Amino acid sequence: MFDPVDDVIERIARHLRRPVHIDPALDGRVMREITELPTPGGATALGKAWRWLRRPHQVTLTPLGGLAAAAGLALVVLLSRMDPTAPAASRAESRAFQFVLVAPRATHISLVGDFNDWDATRTPMHRTGSEALWTAVVPLEPGRYHYAFFVDGSRWLADPSAPLARDEDYGAPSSVLTVGGGGS
Amino acid sequence: MRSVFTRAALPLLGAMLVAARAATQQTDPRLERLDAATRPAVLALVDSARRDLLPTEPLVQRALEGATKRASGDLIVAAVRRLAVDLGHARHALGSTASPAELSAGAAALRAGASQTTLAELRHVRGEPLIVPLAVLADLVASGVPVDSAAAAVLSLARRARDADLVEFRRAVERDIALGAPPAAATAAAATWTAQSVDVNAGARPQRPGRP
Repeated sequence: MFDPVDDVIERIARHLRRPVHIDPALDGRVMREITELPTPGGATALGKAWRWLRRPHQVTLTPLGGLAAAAGLALVVLLSRMDPTAPAASRAESRAFQFVLVAPRATHISLVGDFNDWDATRTPMHRTGSEALWTAVVPLEPGRYHYAFFVDGSRWLADPSAPLARDEDYGAPSSVLTVGGGGS
Repeated sequence: MRSVFTRAALPLLGAMLVAARAATQQTDPRLERLDAATRPAVLALVDSARRDLLPTEPLVQRALEGATKRASGDLIVAAVRRLAVDLGHARHALGSTASPAELSAGAAALRAGASQTTLAELRHVRGEPLIVPLAVLADLVASGVPVDSAAAAVLSLARRARDADLVEFRRAVERDIALGAPPAAATAAAATWTAQSVDVNAGARPQRPGRP
């Protein structure tokens, strides 16, 4: 007699007896997944971050996303070139200022100050007209500048025609020049 | 797409931003002029000021001034530290919108003895940049004017006087002091004259008696 239940069981058994084709790369994939499973007790944030950094990632971008990323990169470059604490005056218009010192016996005078990094080689003064008159012209932006004259490589002189620096910290005298930001 | 972008690209962009930021904080080559013992201390002060969004250029210049004048390392570090503190106080008084030049001038005024209250009042009464009023205040005190007299005079003029008026006011005070006038009296007289002067149309200002 025909037994439908036996027939179903027979068909299932036949199906299960068929050889199964296994991808040769399966072992490798399984083992990789296992190594990436969290360790018992939970992985540390550092460990997760380290695994994330070691894993290859695929980034898919739309053209619009690509443009946004490029704009972000350009912004990063711009920011890296801009010092947020740089004086605003550096973007302001500068004006030429003439510094004058009467020093008949001097052989060499340098103008040194906040505007030339206190570098005695940057702004040598020149004899003008009278042998005793030394001058130098420096473009300056709005701000308050300390400066002094360095005479013959050994003496510091304040500018007799300008206010003395009250906040002098180093013993040698300095003068102060204030350049207004307009209206002056 | 968004989640992939967020998980992978944004951290990379963040890393680039950090790298760019670090690049701006590289050692200023000008500070190589400081000796090896002084440089790290000055660098630390400059970095600290940068983190506090204070202007760093005045600190660098103050250190370079010390190096050029052959000051000791201790003196240089102390001077830079003092200036950094003054800049912080100046910003507190003048507000976060103050420009670096205003902060420098404010620091000088505070060092001269002006109070933070005076600086805050100046910010309140004057719409224009405060570089010149603050510098005039510091210069007057350096000339021997009592700080209260100098502050009162500059505050009284700051609302309407132009920068040029304030500079002329300072010169007048210094001339009178050089001629023998008591500093406070010279300041009061010059302030009165300057106030009258700015009340007159700029094209028809009166000549100050006895002055070129």
